[in-house]
Order: sequence, then C-alpha cells, then structure tokens
Amino acid sequence: MDRNRRFIIGAAIIVAAVTYLVYTGIRETSVYYLTIDEFLTRREAVAGEGLRVAGRVGADSVKWNGATLDLKFRLANFEDDDGVDVTYNGVLPDMFAEGRDVIVEGTYAHQGAFHARTLLTACPSKYEAEVAKN
Amino acid sequence: MVEIGVLALRLALIGGLYAVLAAIFGAQMRRPALVRSSRQAAYAVHALVAAAALVLWHALITRDFSLEYVASYSSSTLALPYRIAALWGGQAGSLLFWVLILTTMSTVVHLQNRERNEALMPYVTATLMTIAAFFLALLVFITGPFERLPVPATEGADLNPLLQNYWMMIHPPSLYLGYVGCSVPFAFAIAALATGRLGDVWIRTTRRWTLFAWFFLSVGNLLGARWAYEELGWGGYWAWDPVENAAFMPWLVCTAFLHSVMIQEKKNMLKMWNMVLVLLTFCLTIFGTFLTRSGIVSSVHSFTQSGLGPFFVAFLLAIIAIVVVLVTMRRELLRGENEIDSFLSREAAFLFNNLLFVGIAFATFWGTIFPVISEAVRGIKITVGPPFFNKVNTPLGLALLFMTGIGPVIAWRRASARNLRRSFTVPLLLGFVTGIAIFASGWRNYYAVVCFSLSAFVLATIFMEFYRGTRARQALMGETPARALSNLVGKNRRRYGGYVIHVGVVMVFIGVAASSAFRLEEQETIKKGAVVNVGAFELTYKDIHFTDGAHYSSMLAEIEVKKNGTFVETMFPEKRFYKKQQQPTTEVALRSTLIEDLYLVLGSYDDASGLMTLIVFVNPLVNWIWIGGLVLVLGTVIVMSPTAAEQRALAAALAVEERGLEAALR
Repeated sequence: MDRNRRFIIGAAIIVAAVTYLVYTGIRETSVYYLTIDEFLTRREAVAGEGLRVAGRVGADSVKWNGATLDLKFRLANFEDDDGVDVTYNGVLPDMFAEGRDVIVEGTYAHQGAFHARTLLTACPSKYEAEVAKN
Repeated sequence: MVEIGVLALRLALIGGLYAVLAAIFGAQMRRPALVRSSRQAAYAVHALVAAAALVLWHALITRDFSLEYVASYSSSTLALPYRIAALWGGQAGSLLFWVLILTTMSTVVHLQNRERNEALMPYVTATLMTIAAFFLALLVFITGPFERLPVPATEGADLNPLLQNYWMMIHPPSLYLGYVGCSVPFAFAIAALATGRLGDVWIRTTRRWTLFAWFFLSVGNLLGARWAYEELGWGGYWAWDPVENAAFMPWLVCTAFLHSVMIQEKKNMLKMWNMVLVLLTFCLTIFGTFLTRSGIVSSVHSFTQSGLGPFFVAFLLAIIAIVVVLVTMRRELLRGENEIDSFLSREAAFLFNNLLFVGIAFATFWGTIFPVISEAVRGIKITVGPPFFNKVNTPLGLALLFMTGIGPVIAWRRASARNLRRSFTVPLLLGFVTGIAIFASGWRNYYAVVCFSLSAFVLATIFMEFYRGTRARQALMGETPARALSNLVGKNRRRYGGYVIHVGVVMVFIGVAASSAFRLEEQETIKKGAVVNVGAFELTYKDIHFTDGAHYSSMLAEIEVKKNGTFVETMFPEKRFYKKQQQPTTEVALRSTLIEDLYLVLGSYDDASGLMTLIVFVNPLVNWIWIGGLVLVLGTVIVMSPTAAEQRALAAALAVEERGLEAALR
C-alpha cells in the first residue's frame, strides 16, 4: 500500500510537470489566430497584441524593393474588396505572389498598418495543384 | 485501361466488406469454410488494389493527361522518377497508395499466420479489411483517382516543385509504411480483445510488426526533417508543423509501447496500459491522416480542404467506441499479476519513461489542436507556435534522455545499493565532468549543457554494458575480444540492438541540442565582391550566373568560402523558377561536415541594383542527427534480424552456460 502510494506520487509529479509546462507554455506563447475578416471587424480591439492573420495577397498591391528588402502589400479578404496594409522586411518566400494565401504574424498599430515579423505562405492549392480546365 | 482501375476499386470495396462479414460470422458460428473464404477475399482485395495502383502508375508514366489526377500532378517535362512518385503526390493517389500498403501487409500477415493463431486470425482479417474498406470507400465515393477531365488537358500542371526532390521519393513511402504498419498490432489487439485471448501470444506475434512500423515511423520522420532541411531553405529541419506533429505523436506512443511491452513479457504487468498504448498509436495514425487531409488546422503541408474531414472523424469515433466497449468488456482479463516493488527498479524506470513519452505526446497533441479547442470554448482561435513545443518538450525530452541511461541498466524489482554504485558511479561522474567542462569552456546555453552532460552519462552506461558483457564472455568462454563482442550482441540481439538504437537516439539529441542552441544566422544584401563574415567563415560574393532549361530556369550565386583564412570551396546557392507552376524555389548550397554545416541561401537578386541577398546559417553538429538515424537503422536491424534455426538449436544447447553467464553479468 505504501509502495503504491509512492508510485502514485511519482506518477503524479510527472503528470503535474506536464500539465504545468503545457499551461505556462500556452499562456506565454499563444497568439490570436484570426482570419482577415475577423481581423477587419475587430482590428482596433486587438491592436498591439500578438496576432496571426490569414488572408490573401491583394491584386496589384505588392511593392517590393529588392535592394532594401522592404515589402508592402495589402492583406485582403476573399473578395479582395477590403484589407489591411502590411509591412515586412526580409526575403520574399518562394510561394509569395498576388492572389496567394498567406499568414502574417506580428502586430497591428492603431489606425495604421500591420507590421509582420514573419510571413508564411500556405499556398492556396496547398499540395494540390489547380487543374487547367481548358 | 482506366475503366479497369475504377472497376478494380469498386470490386475491392465489395471484397473488403465481404471479408469483414465472412470473417466475423465464420468465427462466431464456427464455420471454417467461411473463415477460409474471408482470407481468400483479403487476398483478392490486395490483388484488385494492386491492379488499380498499376493502372494509375501506367497513366502517370504514359502521361495520360485526360485524367484529372495525372494532369494535376505531372507534366510532359517531369522526370520519370517523379512521375512514379506522383502516385503519392496528391490526395486521391496517396489514399490509393495507403490502401496498397495496407492490403500488402494484410497479405503478408495472412501468409505468416496460415497455420498459426487460428482463433485470432478471423478478427485480424476483419479489422484490417474494415480499415481497407474505409479507405476504399473514400476512393470510390469521394475522391476518385480515375476522374476524367471534361476535355483532356494538353499539358499537366506539374508536381509541386517542392516535392521534386529525391527525399520526396522515399520520405512519404517510409512514413506510410510506418503509419500503416501500426494497423497490424492494432488488428491483433482487437482480435485479442474480441476473443479474450489476452495472453502474451498476440504481443509476441506482433512484436516484429510493431518494430517494423516503429522503424519506418522513425526513418520517415528523419527523412522528412532532412527534406525540410534541404528543400525549404530556412536553415532548420523541424518546425512543429501540425503535419510533423501528426507523424511524431504515433511515434512517441509506439516507442512507449515498445518499452512497456518488455515489462509485460518479463513481469506480466501493465497489460491494460500496453493495450491502451497499441490502440492509441493506431488512433493517432488515423488522427494524423485526418489532420493532414481536413484542413482543420492550418499547415504548410495540408492537402486541399477536401471534405474528407468528417469521414475521418466518423471513422475515428467509431473506432474509439468499439475499442472502449471491448476494453471495458475485458477489463478483468487485463489486470496485471504483479505490482511494482520499488522506485529504484527497472519496472519503475520503464513506467516513468512511458509517462514521459505519453506526456510529450499529450503536450504535442494539445498544442496542435489548441486552435480548435480555443475556438470551441472561447470563440476565438488561439494558436501556439514552435516556442510552445520547444518550451514544453525540451525539459520532458531531457528527462527522457536521463531515463535512457537508467532504464536498461538498473536492476529488476529492487536495485541494491551495490547495483546502483556499480552501474552509475562512473557514468554519473563522466556526465558531470562533461557538463562542467562544456560550461567552463564558455558555452552558456543551460539546456544544451544539460543535454551534453546527460548524453555523456547515457553513452557511458551503454559503453559499460558492452565492456562488461564482453569481458565476462572473455573470462568465461575464453573468447577473443572481437569474438566475445560479436557473440554478446548476436546472442542478445534485443538487448544490445536496443543499446545501439539508444546510441543513435543520443546522437540525434546531441545534434538537435547543438544546432538549435549554437546556430549562427546572418543575412546580408551585398554587391559583387563584397565579403560576409559568419563565425570562422569568410564568404565572398564572386558572381551570379543564369541558366535556362525546359523545365525550369535558374540563377546561381558564386560564393567563395574561406574558413579561418584558407580557401575551402566555391559554393552555388541557387534560385530556380519552375515554368509550369510559375513558382520560384530555393536550392540550398550545403557544405556538410561532422563539426558543422555551412548552409547558404540565395534570398533574392535585384536586377536593377545588382544587389544579392545572401542568407547564411552555420549549424553545428547537425550532421549527427542523420548519422544518429543511420545508427538507429543499424540497431533496429540487429534487434529484428532473425535467428536461424541452427543458431536456435545452438542457443538451446548453450542455454545452461548462458544462464551461468547471465548470473556472472549481474
């Protein structure tokens, strides 16, 4: 009985450690994940917070300076009739192009632009290519 | 031709369903003829699926662009090996490939057990064929690989350029073998539950299968890491992407099972726990497939949101329901016969090792599906990235590394003070000295220092096992050292093969710790002739070259590399532009040594200004991850290598002596 109790304590320590690590890990590293539509409706409320926003690169919106690596584009919604300006500094990801789905991670300044620290390209077709139905 | 494929899939589905019913009724009503017929049906399903796969391969190889699948994943300029690999490059084809592997394994299982396990086999047939029928139903009704285009395309859209890489040829098949391999132990577990024959037989029958699945899961994960490292150009190899996690979780639980099953074999304990681990491993493989196919969590890997998600959820829930009912029914039989005596015992060490494995799996699972949960609970998606997984899993992983040193060496039942002193004094000392030495030489990443220190400890325990075993054989049998070592391993393949696997795992730990704690990264936008200094490296941008081919065009930067002032190599990081897909890809230039990798990426090139952006990574010891993988392969081969009959006879004759030897070893 005593033996068993020691075991349960040992196991409980591991379980508690895992729970603690998961709990603090989530508290310290979590960021809001919003679609562009959700972001556009509540953007002022989430200004200044760590955000991940998924949207589409707006048509004719990409301004890229290959010398300074400054990138500006509009992160637009599905219909491309509304969006937010995004600034980013760094190398263009291979899959980045107008009309592609991207995820930006960074912060949004009040009334301003979204500054992206990371720019991820989840290509819309993913690994499924679109078929040329001609 | 294509019609044959369609027909074969439909017949295979019917055959699979028939096999399930025939096997269950045959077993329940004791009709051997019906059971035999279910077995024949399982063979037939395999043949039909193989026929369907051959038809699709034929279409891919002969570039039949009238098929939607072929037009989507290949093109007229795509090289033959990639046209073959395109079978698993897309949704429908990869599902077909999955069933092909599953039914092939089913055939092997049936052939292996023609004369054995008569009570279990009908339920094994039923389980395997249920899984096959599920995937076949998806192929027949939801996502057919043989859909024709309204108008045949003149050219294909090409395989995603990222997949046009030789690792891509072997990484998915390996992972699929691992995933699907988990179905076999699962099927035997279900059969054991259904028949109530919960002794050791099902576990011993499936030991090799479990190892096989585990082996390919390990290799598949490492190949995937290698692919990411070479192809994605961000200098790393593991990003805790949901798809990576999907393959990592079953590996963790499967590894836990491989360890705890030894406790059941030796001590008849943890029966329930082992059963849960086997069932969980399989559920996680299905869950992983669901994750990658449903688009429920965003991932750079996901297939199209294809509407397959609900089917996988339904299938998974059905499996869980059946499993819960069966386990509850048999809970009395799953009681263990012994209890753990002491904290300081091998049983306890294995139990804690198991909790850590499952803990890491749980943390990974939680982090992966957290966006879904938070959305359901709080109405807003909250996501955690790589920092979460690193933060949580690093300490747990280090604890596990520590257990790798303890578990195999500590005595069964209750370790005496003498056993502890004898086994751990030298390794612990060595571990401490290593840690202090690394710390003193100025490395200040605590996790990494702890990791190296623990690695030294584990390697020392393993080395001592080999050393003592060899010495004992030399003394008792008068063998030469080389002969003693090879006999030691040959006669205890599970034990010493296991140690070899542990050595491989330690190497992976060292590689991961060093390359994540001490990596250097530099990004510079420069003109021709400029120099970038990173660590000991001096990189000169000499020139840029442009080439043009039918399939892709490319530009290559010519970088002269000096290390500590002496010229070592000229490297060519490359940017390709794939014409069919209108997509650039990064081709990394890699100079790989045992000490470090120099990893160059051509970030971008600006025509107007002539500026080129070069990204440089120096990843120390990263090669040891892949070397560790090879050692792991070697260890698994030792563990799995069959003992020939004569060796068995010899072993029987030597059993008496062996027992004496075993006693001497303790």
